[in-house]
Amino acid sequence: MNKRWYDFAAMARWPDDDPASGLGPAALAYADTLYNFARYLCGNSTDAEDLVQETYAKALRAAGQFEPGTNLKAWLFRILRNTWLSLARRRRGNPTVGGLDTVTPDVEPEPTWFCDDIELDRLRKLVAADIEAAVMALSEDARMVVLLDLEGLSETDTAAVLGCPVGTVKSRLARARQALRRHLRDYAP
Amino acid sequence: MSVPATMDCQTARAALLDDQRGRLDPATAAALLAHLEGCGVCSRAEVAERLLTEQLERQLPQHSASLALKRRLEAQWPAPAAPRPSARSRRWWPGAMAAAAMLVLAGLTLWAWPWSGRTDRLVTEAVNDHLRVLARAERLEVPSGNMHEVRPWLTGQLDFAPVIAFAGDADFPLRGGTVEYFLDRRAAIAVYGRRLHVITLIVARADGLPWPAGGPIATRAQGFNVRLWRSGELAYALVSDLDVRELAELARRLGG
Repeated sequence: MNKRWYDFAAMARWPDDDPASGLGPAALAYADTLYNFARYLCGNSTDAEDLVQETYAKALRAAGQFEPGTNLKAWLFRILRNTWLSLARRRRGNPTVGGLDTVTPDVEPEPTWFCDDIELDRLRKLVAADIEAAVMALSEDARMVVLLDLEGLSETDTAAVLGCPVGTVKSRLARARQALRRHLRDYAP
Repeated sequence: MSVPATMDCQTARAALLDDQRGRLDPATAAALLAHLEGCGVCSRAEVAERLLTEQLERQLPQHSASLALKRRLEAQWPAPAAPRPSARSRRWWPGAMAAAAMLVLAGLTLWAWPWSGRTDRLVTEAVNDHLRVLARAERLEVPSGNMHEVRPWLTGQLDFAPVIAFAGDADFPLRGGTVEYFLDRRAAIAVYGRRLHVITLIVARADGLPWPAGGPIATRAQGFNVRLWRSGELAYALVSDLDVRELAELARRLGG
């Protein structure tokens, strides 16, 4: 008989002597979450599936390094993000391109807002396709920080995923949301 | 951390997202609130920030891993060994079964209770799709009154075959078709006319959506009449400013 996908009973009995098998059910419970993140990074389902599968393969190999009591979800996101960067660098043929802090910021430093009632009303009327298009129009690192924030990761966990200080997460998220608002203004009816 | 007695606009705006996420200490949150009460521009910025989060959480499509991928991943990991139940645990088995049954019953009750709220979300999204069709005016992807042209085009754009039982007639002429997102999935849109009214039919996969499983639901939202029904694995929504009886007549022809 196939074991259940979300086997919470198995999650509760991780054996100390076998980190990989113990981590499995808990890690696999994040498959949808990781796939969604990968889908927004890759922009298509085929590459997203490859990225998630490679992420789990790496997580399986590194299961012994996971520290129980720390955030498993953030740990998996970090592996996925690093795998994505490796793939992206390989594709671009330049190992120095793609670092998070080397990407041109999306926006000008001065913030702009939906600053009147008409624009706020337009923001309310946006539909799913508009929101998705605006998120996909963000740069990769802006998209990552917005999606991790939506996933409910703390700034500390997000910083660990992205490999940057907490202060950078804060400023990067502010810039990303500003860029998102700017894109959404283009899509708003 | 020292808390400024009064907060300037730059500090306030930088704190808006932290406030949303509950990351501000009480004193800073109070200073922010005081600033927002006295500053119209920052107050609007706070609304915009909150709206953006709401729209992202409510509308950004969520993609699920395919079953095939999940099975591949599952096969990749060694399964944990399941311990044999002890004699002591076997004695508890009938009680555990009763408790599980109670939990299932409670779950079903909770599932059914907020039904109207969950249907409201579907109705709102159906109206949104209708508004997008209206905004397109005559620029439908397939501006054709021939269902034999519309349906094959729709099928080519989707991961399911939409079943549309009514091809249009003199009373409700078919005006064309297009594809829109319905929450997290792509949906077939067929547009019918009735005098000067536009009627939008939305057909989507029903799986994972709290679509009414019984008879059709007729309701009204944002000035539009809306009918929802389900047929097999497909979910249907019909939206228009048309009279409710005429909309019901079109639904009847569509099998809803």
